[in-house]
Amino acid sequence: MTGSRLAAFTAACLIAAASVTALAQSGDRSKLSAPPPVNPRQTGNNTFQFALQNGMQVLVIPDHRAPVVTQMLWFRVGAVDDPPGISGIAHFFEHMMFRGTKSVPGDQFSQTVSKNGGELNAFTSHDYTAYYEQIAKDRLPLVMRLEADRLVNLILTDASVGPERDVVLEERRMRVENDPQSLMSEQMRAALHLTHPYGRPVIGWAEEIRRIDRVSAQRFYNRHYAPNNAILVVAGDVTPDEVRKLAQDTYGKLPARNLEPRSESAEPPRMAETRMTITRRDARVPIFSRLYRVPSYSQARPGQAQALETYGQLLGGGQTSMLYRVLVEQKKLASDAGASYDGNNRDAGEFSIYAVPRPGVTLQALEKAVDEVLLSTRNAPPQAADLTRAKTGLIASVTYRRDSQMSLAMAYGQALTIGLTVDDVNEWPARIRAVTADNVRRAAQSLSRNQAVTCYLLPGGSK
Amino acid sequence: MIHRALAACAFALIVMSVPSQAADIQNIDLGKNATVWFAEDHTVPIIAFNISMPAGSAYDPAGKSGLASFAASMMDEGAGDLSSKAFHEAIENRAIGFSARAERDHLVISITTLKENAPEAMRLLQMALMKPRFEADALARVKTQIIQSLQQDQVEPPRVAGRAFASAFFGNHPYAQSSIGTIKSVSSITAADLRAFARRHWVTNGIKVAVAGDITKPELTKLLADTFRPVPNTAPPALPNIGRLGKPGVHVMPLPVPQPTAVFGLPGIMRDDPDFIPGYVANYILGGGGFSSRLTNEVRVKRGLTYGVSTSLTAYSKASVMMGSVATRANAIRQTVQVVRDTMSTFAKEGPTQQELNDAKTYLTGSFPMAFASNRGTASQLGTFQRQNLDIGYVARRNSLIQAVTIADVQRVAKRLYDPARLTVVIAGTPSDGRPAPQVPRPPVPPSEAPKPPASVPATAKPPATPEKPVPGPVTAPQDTQKP
Repeated sequence: MTGSRLAAFTAACLIAAASVTALAQSGDRSKLSAPPPVNPRQTGNNTFQFALQNGMQVLVIPDHRAPVVTQMLWFRVGAVDDPPGISGIAHFFEHMMFRGTKSVPGDQFSQTVSKNGGELNAFTSHDYTAYYEQIAKDRLPLVMRLEADRLVNLILTDASVGPERDVVLEERRMRVENDPQSLMSEQMRAALHLTHPYGRPVIGWAEEIRRIDRVSAQRFYNRHYAPNNAILVVAGDVTPDEVRKLAQDTYGKLPARNLEPRSESAEPPRMAETRMTITRRDARVPIFSRLYRVPSYSQARPGQAQALETYGQLLGGGQTSMLYRVLVEQKKLASDAGASYDGNNRDAGEFSIYAVPRPGVTLQALEKAVDEVLLSTRNAPPQAADLTRAKTGLIASVTYRRDSQMSLAMAYGQALTIGLTVDDVNEWPARIRAVTADNVRRAAQSLSRNQAVTCYLLPGGSK
Repeated sequence: MIHRALAACAFALIVMSVPSQAADIQNIDLGKNATVWFAEDHTVPIIAFNISMPAGSAYDPAGKSGLASFAASMMDEGAGDLSSKAFHEAIENRAIGFSARAERDHLVISITTLKENAPEAMRLLQMALMKPRFEADALARVKTQIIQSLQQDQVEPPRVAGRAFASAFFGNHPYAQSSIGTIKSVSSITAADLRAFARRHWVTNGIKVAVAGDITKPELTKLLADTFRPVPNTAPPALPNIGRLGKPGVHVMPLPVPQPTAVFGLPGIMRDDPDFIPGYVANYILGGGGFSSRLTNEVRVKRGLTYGVSTSLTAYSKASVMMGSVATRANAIRQTVQVVRDTMSTFAKEGPTQQELNDAKTYLTGSFPMAFASNRGTASQLGTFQRQNLDIGYVARRNSLIQAVTIADVQRVAKRLYDPARLTVVIAGTPSDGRPAPQVPRPPVPPSEAPKPPASVPATAKPPATPEKPVPGPVTAPQDTQKP
């Protein structure tokens, strides 16, 4: 631990001792990386951090190209926190946050942001929920007041819960039920995570979405929404001091609350591969797909997740990747193929592979060819040129990300809510650069079929 | 407390400064009937290019629909002395973003590069335009990808409805054809077709180039001049004019899906018509404004009938369309279309309230600078203006044009635009409302154009088991990423 981070940690502890006992009790929610100081403190090339007295963490990313700011408010709550039997409530609740408070009733939240020239939306994952606005910089006080207001003053009524539940059921039909590939992913994920809530879809099972009512929504709000469970990220044409003052005048007025700890889910060991074949009338093109449970960035040993990331890029990132080259271009068995690693989770990460057969090729033949490529990556380290190209692409993505306030705010907000630090984000390019050919080979060797679900999606008669 | 503060803000006039980048959009003269706009910014070491040519799908020859789009998909598949594999490597070794897509009127090429790789990116572009290889292997592979994508489209309600709508709405004009083509037309496309199309259409006459990012004007001028100097400058062919638009009525394309999609539309307003901007404001109020629109309020907020309903006003070079879409469960689709119709009818009769007009103006003007908050956003927005044949001064003028719109303007234009009796509606799905599904034959022309143009390289299948992405929140209507 560096000196500066130790100092930061001490400062935050003092605040916690003075006023935020909740943090100490809720082990998980206080699983804050290095708690930041009260005054804005530079924690990276262009990032500044501080905390409010009530425990809310704040991160500022100045960008002065346009007179615009992006505010993102992240909460350490997501679909993993859906109570048993009511999957989908975290996402449903995120919709309800746009349904009005006493002082900003009905749809005035979005109306007000729009009439002030702003864009807004929100999103929910298994691990987090985030709300954002992009708006002219002189409207930052306004959107901070609005967010602070709905953080504590939301009004839930039967009249608003009912129609919104129907909206979410339509959203599920659109995103999942109308789309055989989405259905396949949902089934595979349900099979991959034996009991962990990552196996439940974020949007929820339709039968369980129907069970959501005002009482369960209110309970969810009371349990998870408090300033000490939030991380504010502001990117754009502002200074850290401006943000600190505005944040203190808005969010800073909200009291911290004693929150129950987030429930932790065990991940029982998998003993064998799960295989499934899904046959659907609305699938017109067969697909081979495999999903492995692997360590995430928050679980991995140093360098391990970066090696998996690099391996994913080498194996299946784009048209120069091994799977594309071998299956699509050389053997001409597939029309498309790819792979990727997603490790941005609090719990397990995922490594996924897919291939689409050319007409006349069976999924069995395709799978065999995929497995031969996988075997070759276990037996030999990657070619130097291929490794360099994969790393170049990953590292350049960080430079490209700097072009967008939203992408930057996303990267930091996501990292902090899943328990990583600003340093983890800032040092990521260097850690990718350090990945060796041997690291990649070991990442390939670490993929175990016992930790995987393999699926064939087939066009067919029954629905 | 909060209430008062909000009220104060709502009434405050937003005096929106012109975006800093927009303030000095520079013109670069390459000769050759090329238009080049440049926004210089050295904050991030990248450069974004947005390049348009009048080489879109409307130029597809009869029986070869999908040719422009196919050619765009082949743009990174080998050129000059580089095979397909070598071309892909040349791009990915330097992490250059290189993509091309065919819209109705234009081929649009987007290139994003780290500043040090800009010369290589432009060298590859020059080769791709002048010496495409269209090799048999790559051609067969891309053809399979496109055909598989078309096969899956046949069961996707938004795709089916969008294609059938274009076919019904644009009649005999090339706009009625699908940009991606049909399985039959794409199957028939040969290397000779692609070569002829590229030779005729991939020229600098009429080219529009928008650039934003970390390069100086002299450097960029030299780079672009070198890139485009040898590219032929022959005149591109003209598009035919269009006749009557629309085929009023409800047309059903039966599909066994849980959630049908309805696509609906009316003749729009051309870009050079003085009513275009009032029309855009009217559309924002009716259905363009995401959560703020009348349609969202009536269909979604009040009745919970859909996750998303939206409309857009789009002007192509030869026709304009006010088009919208909505998706809902099978037993509610007819009711939903009726609510859309009624909402439209009321708006045409009564026009907007003063408050709606004020709110629309503050949104449309206040959100404009956000289009210029990144190099990629700036290049893309400037490219949009260029394709609409606007002049370079439009960027600075645009907000005042919106400010000048009066309630009488919007009333007049709403009457002109929103006549529910003329509405063309296509439902893809099977309405289950007790009534027998009406026998509407498939449109005579092969199904056409989905509402959103496809990506250049048709993703046969999006990676199916990629990690579940965060489920986005309540706002679904596109909030004009490209401002008018």
